[in-house]
Formats: sequence, C-alpha cells, structure tokens
Amino acid sequence: MFCLSSAVWFVIGTSFGLIDATHMAAPELLGNIPWIVFGRVRPMHTNVVIFGFVGSGLLGAAHYLVPSLLRTSLYSERMGKLSLWLWNLAVVSGTVTLSLGYTQSREYAEWIWPVDIGVLLALALMFCNLMLTATRREENVLYVSIWYVFGGLVFTFFIYFFGNAVWNPGTGAIVGMPDAILAWFYGHGVVGLFLTPLAIAVAYYVIPIVARSPLYSHTLSLVGFWTILMIYTHIGTHHLLQTPVPTWLKVLAVSGSIGMFIPVMTVLINLWLTMRGRLGYVHADIGGKFVMAGLVWYILTCIQGPLQALPTVQRVTHLNNWVIAHSHLGVLGFSGTIALGGVFFVLPRVMGRPIYNTRLADVQYWLVLLGMAGFFTVLTAAGLIQGNGWLNGETVYRILPEIHVYMVLRAFIGVLLWTGAMIGLYNIIMTIYGNRAVRMTK
Amino acid sequence: MKMTPAILIIGSLIIFTSVLLVAVILPWTTISEKPSDIFRTRSQIEEEGRQIYIQNGCTYCHTQFIRNIDWGLGASRIAQSGDYIHEQPHLLGTERTGPDLSQEGGEHPDDWHLAHFINPRFTRPDSIMPQWEFLGMEKTRALIAYKQSLGYLMADYRVGRQRYWKEESIRAYEAGPDQNVAWLHSVVPEPWTKLPNPYPTADVALKRGHRIYQSFCIGCHGPIGDGMGPAQPYLYPPPLNFTILHNRGVTGGILYYQIMNGITGTAMPYFKRDLESEKIWDVGNYVAVFFIGQTDAGGQPRGIEAAYETPLTGVGSRE
Repeated sequence: MFCLSSAVWFVIGTSFGLIDATHMAAPELLGNIPWIVFGRVRPMHTNVVIFGFVGSGLLGAAHYLVPSLLRTSLYSERMGKLSLWLWNLAVVSGTVTLSLGYTQSREYAEWIWPVDIGVLLALALMFCNLMLTATRREENVLYVSIWYVFGGLVFTFFIYFFGNAVWNPGTGAIVGMPDAILAWFYGHGVVGLFLTPLAIAVAYYVIPIVARSPLYSHTLSLVGFWTILMIYTHIGTHHLLQTPVPTWLKVLAVSGSIGMFIPVMTVLINLWLTMRGRLGYVHADIGGKFVMAGLVWYILTCIQGPLQALPTVQRVTHLNNWVIAHSHLGVLGFSGTIALGGVFFVLPRVMGRPIYNTRLADVQYWLVLLGMAGFFTVLTAAGLIQGNGWLNGETVYRILPEIHVYMVLRAFIGVLLWTGAMIGLYNIIMTIYGNRAVRMTK
Repeated sequence: MKMTPAILIIGSLIIFTSVLLVAVILPWTTISEKPSDIFRTRSQIEEEGRQIYIQNGCTYCHTQFIRNIDWGLGASRIAQSGDYIHEQPHLLGTERTGPDLSQEGGEHPDDWHLAHFINPRFTRPDSIMPQWEFLGMEKTRALIAYKQSLGYLMADYRVGRQRYWKEESIRAYEAGPDQNVAWLHSVVPEPWTKLPNPYPTADVALKRGHRIYQSFCIGCHGPIGDGMGPAQPYLYPPPLNFTILHNRGVTGGILYYQIMNGITGTAMPYFKRDLESEKIWDVGNYVAVFFIGQTDAGGQPRGIEAAYETPLTGVGSRE
C-alpha cells in the first residue's frame, strides 16, 4: 500500500517538477493558468516528492522492516492502513490547497495548518503502531535500522511541529529573523531527520541481506546514529549565512556542517565494508541495486554539502541552480533512490511473488540514474554561470539568456525521470494486481 | 552499548530539546527587535499585496536580502536584522531566478509594474517570470503597492521622486512632440548633449545594437522604434516614438545618457547596471541609424582614436 502510494506520488511529483521545468524553459507555454503557475507548482513539487514519493516509500519499507527485525507482526494492520490514508489525505489536500493559493510560504512547511495536523496525526499513529510492535518483540536485540526508524520518527514529529509553528495556525510562522532561523531549522531538518534516517534504516536493512554478510561494525553504527542526531539538527542556519542572523549561530552551523562528515562516513564505511567484495550479490537484487546507487549519491551529496556550507564557496553557489542540483542529489539521488530500492526489496517479500518485470525495473533504474546525473550536471553548470556572473557584477536579468539552454536540457531530463516514474508505477501495479498465474501459463 | 526503546526515545528527546534550545530558542530570545533606520509599518493595501506575493510563491524566485557581495538593485544597503521585525512569515527566499526585491520600491513607476505583471516580457523581453494577468486589476494594484513599499523609507523617497517626474514627463508629453523632445533633451546635462557617438556605425556594431535592442527595448519601443511595443497600452506617458527625433537635435550623447540613466518618472529604466559602455553606444547607433535616420557617429569633437580603430571599421567601408 505504501509502495503503491509512493509510486503514484513519484509520478505526480515528477509531473509537477516537469511543469516547473517547462516554466523555466518556456514561460508562456503554460502561461496565465493560476493553479499551475510556477510559484504554486514549485511547493507542490517539493512537498509531494518529500512527503508523497520518498516519504511514503521509506515509511512503507519501515513498516515492513520493523516487524521483520523484531520477529513479530505489525501491532495493528488497521492502524497502519489508517495512518497511510491519513498521510495520503494530507498530501492530497496539501497539494490541492497549494494549487489554490493557500500557503504558509516557508519552504517545505508550505502546507496550511489543517494539513499539518493531518501529517502530525499520521506520524503519531505510525510511531505508536511501530512502538507497540516493539513492545511485543520476540527479538531482544534492536538492530540499527530500528534505531533510525524510531529516532527519525521522533525527530520528524517534533521538528514538523516546531518548524511549522503549529501553535500559530494563522501564519504557521513566528516573526522576523527568528522565523527564518526556525524555518531553516525545520527546512534542513525535514530532509536530514525525516528522509535521511529512514533511508539509512532501509540501507542498513537491505544491504546485509542482499550482500549475504553480517553488518561490519556495531560501534560504527552507534557513532553514526548518535552523531547524526546531534549534528544534523543544528546546521540549518547554513542556509542563512548571507543574511543578518547572529554570527555565533552561523559559526555553529558551518562547523556542524563540516562535522556531518562523521555520521555520513561512519554509515558509509560500515555499509561498504559489509558488502566488500560482494557487489555482485548486491546488484543481483533489484532492490539492493537501487539502494547501492542511493548510497553512492549519498556520499556525493555529503561531500558537496559540507563544502558548500563554507561561506567562501557560498559566494558563488548560493541562491542559484547549484543548490537545486544539490537538493535533487539529496532527495532524488540519495533518499529517493533508496526509497525505490526499499519498495522493490519489500514488495516481492510482502506479496510472496517476484517483481512483475525485473527488466522494466532495470530500465527504471537507468532512467533514474541517468536523469539524476543529468540534473546534477546541468543544474550545477547553470548555477556556476549564475553565481560567477553575479559575483562579477552581471545583473540577474543578463544571466537569464545564458542559462536558457540548461533550462531546456533540464526539462528534457525531467522527461526521462517522469518516464522512469511511469514505468515504476506500471511495474508495481502489475506486481500487486497482475494475475501472474495467467501469465505463467502463456 | 545496548540499545533499548527507552534509550532511543529518551536520548532522541534530550538531543532534540537541547538543540532546539541552542539553535532556535536562544537566537529567538536574544535577537534584538529594534526597527532599523529605514523601517516603517505597511499600509493595508501593501499588506494585501504581500499576501498575494505569498499565495503565488513569488518568494521562490525573488530573495529579499542584500548581501555584502551584491552589485545589483539596492546593493548600497546591506540587509539588517531590524528590517525584518514585522515579517511573518519571513520572505528571505533562497533563489534569485529574478532579482532581489528588498529595495525594489521606487525603482520603476506603477505603470511599468502593471505592464510587467500583465506579461513580464512586455517590459523585460528575456524575463522568464510567469504572466500574472489572471490576478485581475485589483490584486495587481495591491501587489504593485507592496512592491513599491519594499525598502520602506528608502522606497518611499524613491516613489516620491517617481511621482514628481511622472507629472513633469506627462506635462511635456501632452504639450506636443516639439516641447516633449525639447524637455527630454533639457534633462540631459549639457556636456552630454554636445557629444556625438564616438563609435562608428560599423556593421558588427549595428548587429550588436540590434541584439541589445531586442533584449531590452523592443517591449516598449516596438520592433520599428515607433513606441508601439506590446507594453505601450499600459504606459503613460507612452514609450517614445524614435522617428519624431528626426531633425530635432538629438545627439549620440543624449541617447547614451538617457539609456544609461533612464528617465525617472516614465517607464524608461536606467540600463547602466545591465549594459556596459560599448553596448550602450552600439544600441544608440542602432536606434539612430534605423529609427531616427540620422547619426553623428564618429563625428567631431572626438579624442584620440582608440587603439583598435582602423579606416575599415566604418559603415559600408568594406565595399
């Protein structure tokens, strides 16, 4: 169910992305239509991708891996379904209201108050359900994936609550520069403490199984887990280095950003030493293959991230498409690809039959991989042109024609990804509902 | 270390609480709430405009803070914390697909904004901003009021100047072409009015001028320079018809100055931030040759020829 939702949202999310890309390349092609104007589709795209596509995919995988690692069954299937429907309802209503112009305007916190409540209720339900599952576990040892799922859910709930200023339903914000600080505490945290821990949980689960090898180190897992919670949380202000926020907070954010190497590297070293010499096994499983690709994007994201948190680097990279390249790397490349891996790993095990068509999944894998690489290249190039031009005194307007070709390429690459999403949806629908018996007899 | 659900939950909560205290609550309680020197409160229509700005996601392409490395619009006033004390939610933004707007107020008169919102390419042909015609006139007016308030007291000063020169320019326009051209020339400082375009009307320069014209001028002045570009219906005084400058004493220097500095009060913006010197001279030559039908390019007085100039660079000299 979560898998299907994720696949549907992947299609919808990339469709919005494609509309956005079209606006950037040809502003009048879809011109003068209020509900798909760029400024409204942009938050529809980001929120659907974060919560709808990647979020649902990872939460779905979590609902499989938690009971399976605890050697028990999910506490309540009904509660699980209820939380999923609540979650989907929130994503749908959030998207529709944004399209109608109801927004709280702060990035990834745009959804209005009633939608926020829906998200929080769904998260709370999921947390309770999984926690109750944990209380009746047969397995005494909690595996590292479990830590990340629970840590992630706790943090997501609270960061969503505070970040959306839920006590303030009218605006969902506080006032002045503190609002910017709060908004980026949230904006960074929702990626770092919702998507990242859940994606790592999936990777920690999938990789040892498909590599047929026990996890390399318990100590590294511990270091990675506690440091990500400590470090990732307080670095959001690196989005605000060029604004008038207190300098001590900027110092905290930049040093924390550099410190992110610790949780990232411990996780990656741990996982890669687990599968050393066993990449063939990993790639033999389509889910493992996606997760592996996601981990490669993870190391790239997390080398780029700390570097671009440096004030000197930001002089060139801030406020332009460089950052958009980075966000696609993090959400589509890392957590999105791992979410797809989770979906393709979990689905056959839940349904008790293989993926409908592994070759189609392979095609999707390559489309996502090429699309992601293309996005990264094109957007980074455009961003460098913008950043260096501005630094050199060129006006924003003068640079626009220079990045036009990249915006056209970006739209074409968007088509690749959208195709990948459609193929994935078809494949998953056929895996769930396709009548295999009929096919086998043919 | 053996992990249990209790350690997980309590540990996460302790970390979350301490980070929230340090990274959010501490700055929240210690940032000074004093208004900056340019701060004022917004009027009702400006607030309405701000809501429209929020509803339509303007903040995804326009930032509202000036950095110490910026050159462009408003770069002389770096953002201060006290500028934002009434912002709820903040609209700092994260991308500059369009220009920063924190000092946008008074950069252009209201009619320029109207044409720009109906279709951004009417006034800025290379713009990729969406059309906002669907907002309707009432909301567009509120949005314009909000934009004109950006920069607070500094914006008010600039808006006042726009209004003053708007009246002057309308008076000149309504007095007929002779008086209008005389007024337009009179607002250029004298040394410029006597200056010919120092660069010859070489083919390549005219081609460059044509390209610049299409990216900057065509929306108002139109493809044949008669002032009937698509923005014309929204602008008053309307864009200048270049053909009326014929035999009315225009010089290369006047054209250069008006392009560089703009004509505050009218929809004619200044282009000195967008265009370097040679590009302004080239587009001046293009307008003079093709629309006015008269050029003083390369005429006297002129200084020592630039190092690259040869007799072959003149127009038609290749034949």
